Amino acid sequence: MWKVTWKGLLSHKLRFALTAVSVVLGVSFMAGTLVLTATINATFDDLFAGIYEGTDAQVRGIEPVDAQFGPGSAPRLPVDASALDVVRGVNGVAVAEPFVAIPYAQVVDGAGDPIGGGVGPPTFGQSWVDNEDLNPFQLVPGSEPPGVDDEIVIDKGTAKEGGIAVGDRVDVLSLLPTKQYTVVGIAKFGTQDSQLGASVIQFTLPESQRINGMAAADYSNIGVVADSGVTQEQVRDNIAGAIADTNVEVLTGKELTEENQNEVAGFLDIFNRVLLVFALVALFVSCFIIYNTFSIIVAQRTREMALLRAIGASTRQVTTSILLESIAVGVFASLVGFVAGIALAAGLKVALDAFGLDIPAGDIVVPPIAFVLSFAAGLIVTVVSAMIPARRASRVPPVAAMRDVAIEHRHGFGYRIAIGVFVTVGGAALMLFALFGSPGNAIYYLGVGAVAVIVGVIVVGPVVAVPVSRVIGWPLPRVRGIVGDLARENALRNPRRTSATATALMVGVSLVGFITILAASTKASVADTLDAQLRTDFIVTGGSGFGVPLSPAIGDEMAALPELGAVSPLRFAGAAVDGRGEFMTALNTETEDELFDLGVSRGTLGSLDVDGIALSTSYADDHDLLIGDTLDVVFPATGLTSVQVRALYQGNDLGLTGKLLISIESFDAHYLPEQRVDFFVLARLAPGVTTEEGAAAIERVLEPYPTAKLQNNAEFRESQEATIAAFVNLVYALLFLAVIIAVIGIANTLALSIYERTRELGLLRAVGTTRRQLKSMVRWEAVIIAVLGTLLGLVIGFFFGWSVVLALEEDGFSSFDPAPGQLVIIVIVAGIAGVLAAVFPARRAAKLDVLKAISTE
Amino acid sequence: MTATVPSITTTAARAVLASKLYGKGDTEVRALDGVSVDFDRGQYHAIMGPSGSGKSTLLHCIAGLDRLTTGDVWIGDINLNTLNEKQLTRVRRDHIGFVFQSFNLIPTLTAIENIRLPMSLAGRDPDDEWVDRVIETVHLADRLQHRPSELSGGQQQRVAVARALASRPDVIFADEPTGNLDSKASAEILTFMRQAVDEFQQTIVMVTHDPIAASYADRVVFLADGKIVDEIRDPTPDTVLAVIRRLGD
Repeated sequence: MWKVTWKGLLSHKLRFALTAVSVVLGVSFMAGTLVLTATINATFDDLFAGIYEGTDAQVRGIEPVDAQFGPGSAPRLPVDASALDVVRGVNGVAVAEPFVAIPYAQVVDGAGDPIGGGVGPPTFGQSWVDNEDLNPFQLVPGSEPPGVDDEIVIDKGTAKEGGIAVGDRVDVLSLLPTKQYTVVGIAKFGTQDSQLGASVIQFTLPESQRINGMAAADYSNIGVVADSGVTQEQVRDNIAGAIADTNVEVLTGKELTEENQNEVAGFLDIFNRVLLVFALVALFVSCFIIYNTFSIIVAQRTREMALLRAIGASTRQVTTSILLESIAVGVFASLVGFVAGIALAAGLKVALDAFGLDIPAGDIVVPPIAFVLSFAAGLIVTVVSAMIPARRASRVPPVAAMRDVAIEHRHGFGYRIAIGVFVTVGGAALMLFALFGSPGNAIYYLGVGAVAVIVGVIVVGPVVAVPVSRVIGWPLPRVRGIVGDLARENALRNPRRTSATATALMVGVSLVGFITILAASTKASVADTLDAQLRTDFIVTGGSGFGVPLSPAIGDEMAALPELGAVSPLRFAGAAVDGRGEFMTALNTETEDELFDLGVSRGTLGSLDVDGIALSTSYADDHDLLIGDTLDVVFPATGLTSVQVRALYQGNDLGLTGKLLISIESFDAHYLPEQRVDFFVLARLAPGVTTEEGAAAIERVLEPYPTAKLQNNAEFRESQEATIAAFVNLVYALLFLAVIIAVIGIANTLALSIYERTRELGLLRAVGTTRRQLKSMVRWEAVIIAVLGTLLGLVIGFFFGWSVVLALEEDGFSSFDPAPGQLVIIVIVAGIAGVLAAVFPARRAAKLDVLKAISTE
Repeated sequence: MTATVPSITTTAARAVLASKLYGKGDTEVRALDGVSVDFDRGQYHAIMGPSGSGKSTLLHCIAGLDRLTTGDVWIGDINLNTLNEKQLTRVRRDHIGFVFQSFNLIPTLTAIENIRLPMSLAGRDPDDEWVDRVIETVHLADRLQHRPSELSGGQQQRVAVARALASRPDVIFADEPTGNLDSKASAEILTFMRQAVDEFQQTIVMVTHDPIAASYADRVVFLADGKIVDEIRDPTPDTVLAVIRRLGD
C-alpha cells in the first residue's frame, strides 16, 4: 500500500503542496508562538538573574493588599530607615545599602517628547547604589556616580537615543514638574546598553525620595551582600531574626530572582495561551481544507479504488492508503510548519528589537514542547480530517471500475438536520446559561457552547447551503446570463463540498463579526455612559488611555484657577473589601452635582468624608449591602479599616467611576504617598468664562508637565474609541491567518474541482464558451461560496455579540450596536476575497486545451 | 431566422492540403498528410477509416478544435488559420454544431437549457419556433426539464443532436455519435440526422467506424494513414464493407 500511496503523492505534487499549505500556516503560527514566548521568557529570566546576581538578600516592606490590578494598586510598604543600622549589625552581613525605586521618570527633550524607553519598555528611576554587587549597572569610562541632588546617571541606550553626553544638562519628567539635571555618568547593564530597552535614570538617594514623595526616613528596600562563606539562606535568617517589624520581610537573592521570573512567566503564559487559541482557530479552519481536498481526491480516484477492490484489496487496505497519504502530508506539513514557525519567531524578535526592546543577541529558545505540540497538532489535524473521506473511499463498490458510476451520497440529510440543529441549539443554550446563569468557570461553558454552535452549523451546512446559495446567486443568471447560471449551479451541485469550503470561512468571519459587534457596542456604551455621567468641559489625561499618571499638583493648581468652576481629580487603586480584591475610585465629592451625574439614588456623595463609601446599586445588590452597613476594608497605608456605606449610585465598569467610590480625602488618608496620583482631572468652566479662556488657563498650569494632555469631551471620547479600535485591530490581525487559510481553501477546492470537471469544461469550450466566460464562471462560483460562508459567519457572530452584550448589560453595556455598516463591508470584502481566490483556478480553467479536455477519461 | 450571415459558397466546410504532424525526425508521425476534401452544403457526409487513419484528427482540425501544421481549413468562407483563439471560439459557437460519442451535455443544466446553450453563450435569444420544431423532430417534448442524469444514453444523444440543430450552424460535426448506443437508439439518432439533412438542409459530417451508420450518409470518404484513399456516393452497408475489405488488403 505504501508504494501506491507514495506514487500517488509524487504524481500530484501540486495538489499535495496546496493541501499542505493550510496546515503549514496553522502549525507555524503555533510553533512561532511557543518559540517566541519561550525566547522572551528566557530573556527575562536572564534579565532578572543579571539584576540580582550580586544580591544575597533583600529587606523590603510587605504587600498590604493582595490586589492585582492597575498601576500603583499593589505597592509595598516602605522600609523604615532605622532598619538599616540593624541590618548592618547582623552577623554575616558584609554590606547593606538602601534603595529607592521610582516608578516613573523620563528624560524629555526640548519639545517635551520623551527620550529613551521606546514603544514598549518602561521608563523609571532609582537611587544610585554605590556597590558593584548590588548595582547591576556599570559606569562607562569618564563617568561619575551622582554626587549632589541635581546630578544623574542615565543608561547608555537613552544616552544614545537622545545624543546625550556626560556633562549635558537634560530635563527629567516625573510626577513632579520637569526639572533639569546634569548628566554626570552613563551606565551599561552588563553587555547591553540598557535593561531590555528600559530607560533607567539614577539619582542620589535623597533626590529619589523627594521625587517619590517619600519621607527621608523611608526606603523602598535594603540590598544586602553577605560575608564570604555565608550562604544566602543563613544571612536571610539572621536578618529576619534581628528585625522585629512585622511590616518587613526578608528574601534571599535567589528567591527574589525567582519571584520576578515567575511573575513574568505568569504574564507570558496568558499571552501564550491567548495566541495559541488563535493558532487553534487557524488549525481548525485547516481541517475543512484537508477534508475537502481528500474528498476530491477520493472522488477522482473512484475508478482506481474500485479496481484495487476488484483485484482483491480489502476495504481496510483502501482506507489505509488514503490515511497513509494524509499522514505523509501531515508529517511533511508539520515539519515545514515548525521550521517556518521558528523563522517567524526569529523575525518577530527582530521586529521587537526595532520597537526598542534591546534584546541581547542570544539564541532563539526552542523548547521541546514547541516541537511536540505543533507537530502533533499538525499531524492530528491532517489525519483526522482525512478520515471521513478515507472511509468513503473504502465504500466504493468494486463494480464501479467497469462503469462510469457517479457516486453521489444523497441520503442522510434528515439525520444531518436533526444532529445539527440539536448541537447548535444545545450550544446556544450552554452559552446563554454561562452568560446569564453565572455558574462557576463560566468561561469554559461559554467556550464549549460557542464551539458547539459553530460545529452544529457546520453539520447543518450542506442542508442550508443549497437554499442560501440559491438566494445569493439569484441575481447571477439575470446579470451574467448562462455563465451566471452555470456558476450558481456548480456551487449547488455538491452541497457537501460547497458547505465545507464555505464553513471554513464562516469560522473566521463569525469571530470577526463577534469582535466587530462587541467593539461597536462597547464604543456606544462607553459613549452613553460618559454622556450620562459627566458634565465636564475639559478632561486632563496623562497621555492615551490610562497612560502616565498625573501629579496631584496639577489638580490642586487647576482647582485654584478662577476660570474653572468645579475641578475634580480621579484616582484609582485597589483595596480588599470584605476579603475581595476591588477597584476603588476617588473623586472630589464636593463637585458632586456640577461635574458628575451619577444617578445617586440614596444618600449623598457629600456625606462620604474620610470614613464613608458609596456603592453602585448593582454592587450593593450583588452583595446584599444597605445604607449604613459597615465594610471591612484593607487599605495599603492604614491596614484594616472600617468604612460605612453612605450613598448608592448608578455605576458600572465602563464609566470612569466604577462600582466603589470614596472621597479624595479618604484616599489620601488610606493610601501610600506614591499612590496619590491622578489619572484624570475633570473640570468645568466657571460661569461667564469662555472655552478659550478656560483652555488657556489650564494649558498654563500644564506647561511643566509635557505628558499631560488637555481634551474636551469629544476629544476624550475619541481617544477612548481609539483605544478600543486599536485592540480590535489587534484581534483582527490575529484572526487574519484563519481567514487567509479559508480563502486559500476556496482557491484549493476550486482548483481541484476544475481538474475534476475537465471534460465538462472542455465541452463548454468546444460549443463556444470563450476563455473569459469560463473565467467569469469560476469567479462567480468562488464569490457565491465566499459570500455564503460570510453570511453564515455573520449570523453566528451576531448571536455571539448580542448574547454577550446582553449579559453584560448591568456592567454598563447599555447599547447594542450591530454595526450594520461594518458588517456590510465585511460581506463586500468577502466577495472580493472570493474573486481573489478564483484568480488561479480561473486561469487554470481558461488554459485548458480544448481537445485534451474533451478527450479526458 | 438565425443571426448568422448566410454563406455564399456551396461548401459548408473544406480542407485544402491539410497536414498535421507530431514529433520530429525519426519519431515524426503524419496524422494528416495533405488531405484535400470538400463538404458540400445540405449533404450528409461520413468519414471512415481504421484507427490511426487520421479521421478524428481531420474532424478536430476542420471543427476548429485543433490547428493544422500546414494547409488551410474553411468553415463557409471563413479561413480558420486566420483566426485567433477568441475568434475560433466564436466560430465554434455560431457556425458549428457538435455531437460527441459521450459526455455531450452539461450535467447541471436541464435538457432544454443544454439545447439552448450555444445561443445563451452568445447572449442571443433563441428562435423559439425553430427550437420547438427541432425538439419535436427528436421527440423530446416530455423530457425537457430533466437533467442528463435522468435521461437514458439514447435520450442524451438526442438532446445533443437537438442542441447541434438548434443554433442552425453551417455544419454539424458528429464524432462516433452512435458509439455508445444500442442498435435501436443508434437507428433513432441516425434517422434524426438524416431527417435534419433532408428537411432542414442541414450539413452533417460524421466520423464513424460502423458501416450501417455510414449507410445513412450521402457520401463516404475513406481515410488511411492520413490520406484520402477512396470515396463512394449513396452508400449501402454492403458497398461500404466492400471498400473496407479492399482497403484492408
